[in-house]
Amino acid sequence: MELTNQIILLGSAVLLLSVLSSVISARVGAPILLVFLIIGMLLGEEGPGGVMFHDVQLAHLFGSLALAIILFDGGLRTPVKNFRVGLKPAVVLATLGVVLTAGITGIFAAWWLGLHWMEGLLLGAIVGSTDAAAVFSLLHGRGLELKQRVGATLEIESGSNDPMAIFLTIVFIELLITGPQNMGLVVLWEFIQQMGLGALIGIAGGFALVWIINRLDLAPGLYPLAALAGGLTVFGIASQVNGSGFLAIYLAGLVLGNRPLQASQNINRFHDGIARLSQIGMFLMLGLLVTPSALVDVAVDALLIAGVLILLARPLAVWLSLLPFHFPWREQGFIAWVGLRGAVPIILALFPMLAGLEQAGMLFNIVFFVVLISLVVQGWTVAPAARLLRLEVPPTTHVVQRVELDIPGQQEMELVGYRLADNTPVVQEKWTSFVLPKSVRVVAHLRDKQLLESLELLDLRAGDYLYLMAAPDDLPDLDRLFVPRAAPKRLSEQTFFGEFVLNGDARLGDLSLAYGLTLPEGVAEQTVEEYIRKTLHTAPVVGDRASLAGVELVVREMEGARITRVGLKLSR
Amino acid sequence: MNIAQLLSPERVSRASEISSKKRVLEVLSEMLAGSQPNLSGTEIFDSLIARERLGSTGLGHGVAIPHGRMAGVEHAVAALIKLDRGVDYDAPDREPVDLLFALLVPQESTDEHLQILATLARMFADPAALASLRSADDGEALLAEIRRWDNGADKGSP
Repeated sequence: MELTNQIILLGSAVLLLSVLSSVISARVGAPILLVFLIIGMLLGEEGPGGVMFHDVQLAHLFGSLALAIILFDGGLRTPVKNFRVGLKPAVVLATLGVVLTAGITGIFAAWWLGLHWMEGLLLGAIVGSTDAAAVFSLLHGRGLELKQRVGATLEIESGSNDPMAIFLTIVFIELLITGPQNMGLVVLWEFIQQMGLGALIGIAGGFALVWIINRLDLAPGLYPLAALAGGLTVFGIASQVNGSGFLAIYLAGLVLGNRPLQASQNINRFHDGIARLSQIGMFLMLGLLVTPSALVDVAVDALLIAGVLILLARPLAVWLSLLPFHFPWREQGFIAWVGLRGAVPIILALFPMLAGLEQAGMLFNIVFFVVLISLVVQGWTVAPAARLLRLEVPPTTHVVQRVELDIPGQQEMELVGYRLADNTPVVQEKWTSFVLPKSVRVVAHLRDKQLLESLELLDLRAGDYLYLMAAPDDLPDLDRLFVPRAAPKRLSEQTFFGEFVLNGDARLGDLSLAYGLTLPEGVAEQTVEEYIRKTLHTAPVVGDRASLAGVELVVREMEGARITRVGLKLSR
Repeated sequence: MNIAQLLSPERVSRASEISSKKRVLEVLSEMLAGSQPNLSGTEIFDSLIARERLGSTGLGHGVAIPHGRMAGVEHAVAALIKLDRGVDYDAPDREPVDLLFALLVPQESTDEHLQILATLARMFADPAALASLRSADDGEALLAEIRRWDNGADKGSP
């Protein structure tokens, strides 16, 4: 009895502390995962907490479960529209990129530590996958957005490279145990089986889940549980038949998140919470598991390996993988730099222990240290790096009060609330001639806690509250009216996109007539869109730029793959 | 740069009876033609419309800066109009436009042209400037606000 209560108190206090610490970490820019890891270490055998925890089997079970849930959530929130620019580069990064990173890091590790070359490659594979969730939580916390090509590539890469790293780790462990006969053939066959079955079961399972959930009539609180249980079932089935369960559950989440789904808002909220809990739990547990003093022995080795990984292997792998896609150098540089390592390598480092490999303990400590270094060095510099490389775009939506309305059989509608202030555009600019987007209806207008009779919005004052019914697509337009301009000056629309707007199909010849520009040879017949595409060599995204005769053209709006509006920037 | 210098009292007004983009551009063209002995309102209108075909000159937040570059213009001139009700202008934020500043520049002065446009765009992105222009009741008051902004902007820059 007494012990149970003590455990509950301790556990909940730690969880509360972890949640609260996210506020502080957001303020100082520290990666939140690092904070959880450190709290775990403080609780552990050598910290004031003094908790002894060495159960590798249990850690592996919880770690895999947490990882599966995090991947499921990642799939749920990846919009398929990101695939247009991000899928192909991300898939190459997640396959070839991981092999290259693992290979280069592994060969160095084998040479430096004097290990068998296959043990070296095992170490390389263990640290091969990246964690983009950390990157995005850091950027979103500051209201910043990345250019779509970079954001989408990193997001899809991190979702899909975990299965690859897991696969390589398992294969190398098997080869270390059985000896390297027919190595090429074994690896290839395993690859086809794991990824093929994983993809097949994941996608089929995802569609089956959508079908089932849409036909169920449940209490609202049960839909998220049905989704989670279904996702984990897909994970289990795929793993049982020797497919990649992690790939399967990621893809199942992706299907679920992008199909019309009953109670989707409930499901998303729940998974946001449970994925965070998984992350906190996983990092706390891994912090508990490690013996901090043992890290000191491997400090030099780990520093060198992390250095090779961060400064050589990842940049080289990114550069080679992205060669066919002609990414601008700034974007390659950023993708290379934010190859952040998260929990996956630490979980993978448990595999050799479970398999009883001789070097397992040392590998675990080195991997743990490498992840720590990556979290500190790369995690802390993500936001400055994005700024330095000029990869941010003006944010399109802001945090306001939003309630998604789940109207059966209806298109998605949301109830959004705005509090007007002195610096709200409609108030500050005495702007009365604005019109609301077509599908938007005013639901309530409050002043001094009273509902106003008129909903015409002719008299808007600071301190008023407005509630509107709107489709999600209209939110950026509403934000322009009712949200104060908060973006830093370098990201204000005029500074970023330029003073004027051109249609994508405007001809350069006409442009030069209007502004007296001296065009380069032979472009007069091109449209603005064609000129930008020719200059870029890659699929354009909002924020891409091209210079022309002393002015700058900036992609401003896209419809699918077409450039519809381009900013014209006159001043530098 | 002094924006008020581009204007004159005849070329600043407030209008209540205008309800289309075409109509407001016609009115602005006529106002500009008053200062251009060599050009007709129609010719100026054609030049402004030619620029609109490349993309709306609306800036967003109810503001537009229609502009054209023409032979026969001696130096840059402008006209300012404030509408009681906004007109649909195909602006990037899809909002109607109620403040329009039309600019006409000579064919020769290209870089100056770009600099004037950049300055205008900056001014019309300033919420305080928009609020004061919107509170002005007639042409005189509008011009006074522009002068006030000119002075403030001059003091602000080193």
